[in-house]
Amino acid sequence: MSNSLRSRILLTIATAAVAAPLGVILAHDDHATGIYKVRHDEYHKLGDAFKVIRDQTRANAPDAAAIKNAAVVVNNAANEQFNWFPADSGPKEGVKTRAKAEIWSKPQDFNAAQKLFQEQAGKLNTVAAAGDVAAVRAQFGEVGKACKNCHDNFRTPED
Amino acid sequence: MPDSPLTRVRIWDAPIRLVHWLMVALVALSWWTAENNNLEWHRYSGYALLGLLVFRVYWGFFGSETARFANFVKGPRAVWSYVRDASGAARPGHNPLGALSVILLLLLLIAQVTLGLFAVDVDGIESGPLSHLVSFDTGRACADIHETLFNVLLGLIGLHIIAVLYYLLFRRQNLIATMIHGKRDVPAGTTTSLASLSWPKLLIGLVLAGIVVWYISRG
Repeated sequence: MSNSLRSRILLTIATAAVAAPLGVILAHDDHATGIYKVRHDEYHKLGDAFKVIRDQTRANAPDAAAIKNAAVVVNNAANEQFNWFPADSGPKEGVKTRAKAEIWSKPQDFNAAQKLFQEQAGKLNTVAAAGDVAAVRAQFGEVGKACKNCHDNFRTPED
Repeated sequence: MPDSPLTRVRIWDAPIRLVHWLMVALVALSWWTAENNNLEWHRYSGYALLGLLVFRVYWGFFGSETARFANFVKGPRAVWSYVRDASGAARPGHNPLGALSVILLLLLLIAQVTLGLFAVDVDGIESGPLSHLVSFDTGRACADIHETLFNVLLGLIGLHIIAVLYYLLFRRQNLIATMIHGKRDVPAGTTTSLASLSWPKLLIGLVLAGIVVWYISRG
C-alpha cells in the first residue's frame, strides 16, 4: 500500500468517525403533538418534581417547603394520569411514544398500576405536608416502586 | 536495521497496562449495565473509571517515560509526517498518530464520566452523584449527550482496534501482547528498558484517585 493511498484511507476513516456521530446529534428531534405531547410534558413535570424530592431527602439540610410543593405536583400527576391515556393514543406509525399497546389491551392491569401510584403518591403528599422528612424519605422509595411497577410493564425500554 | 540482533526491553510499566485493561473491562461493564438498566452498577463502574482516569492523568505527568504526555503528544506536523512515512517507528511508546487516539480516547472518557456525574434519568429517580447541583432539564441534557457521546466513543474504540489489527496483520507488530506483558523486541542498542517503578509516586497516584472518587461519589 502506497503512502499517499494510506494517508487517504486514514483521512477518510477519521472524517467518517467525526461526521457520523454529528449526524446523529443533528437528526435528533422530537415532534410529539396533541395528547402525546401533553402526556410527555406532564411526565416531564413529574420527573422534575421527583428530582426535587430526591435531592432534598439526600441534602444535609433538607428544604421541607420545597419537598411539600414537589409532593403536591406528584400527587396531582397521580390523580390526573387517568386522563392521559385516552383511546387511540397508543404506539402507531409516525408518533414518538414509549407507551406500550398493553395499556389499552390490558386496561384492568394498567388501571391497577395507576391506582398503586395514586395510593403511594397520596401517602407521600400527606407526610410531605406534615414536614416529616424522614417519613418522606421512606415513602419516596415506595412511590419509586410504584413508578417502576408500571414502567416495567407498560413502557418500552429506552433505545 | 534489518539484521541487527534483537533484545527484549520493557516499554510499558505495570500501572499503564493495568489501567488499559481495566478501562476495557469497565467500559464494557458500563455499556452492559446501561443497556440493562442497572444504574446502581453503572454508577459503580463510572466511579471506578473516574479513579482510573484521575490516575492516568496523574501518571501522564509523574509516571514512567512512555506514560508521560510530554513524551508522546505531538503537533499536527509530526502526526502528518508519521502518517506519510511510518518506517522510522522503532521508538518505543506511542507513535504520533497513536498518541492522537490515546488523547482523544482519554478526553472522551473524561467527558463521559463527567456527564454521567450530572445525568438524571427520565423519571428523576436514578441519577449521578452531582446531579443535585443541576436542574432536571440540565440533568436530562447531560444524560442525552452521555448517550450520544458513547456512540462516538464506540467509533473511536473501533478505530483503535482496527489500527491495532492493521499493525498485527500488515506490519507484524503484536501491540496487544505488548500491552499485556509490556515488553517489545527492538534492535540491540536502540532503546533502553524503562526505569523501575517508583513506589512512592504510584502510591501518591492511588491515594489521589481514591480521594477524588470518594469526594465526588458522596455528592
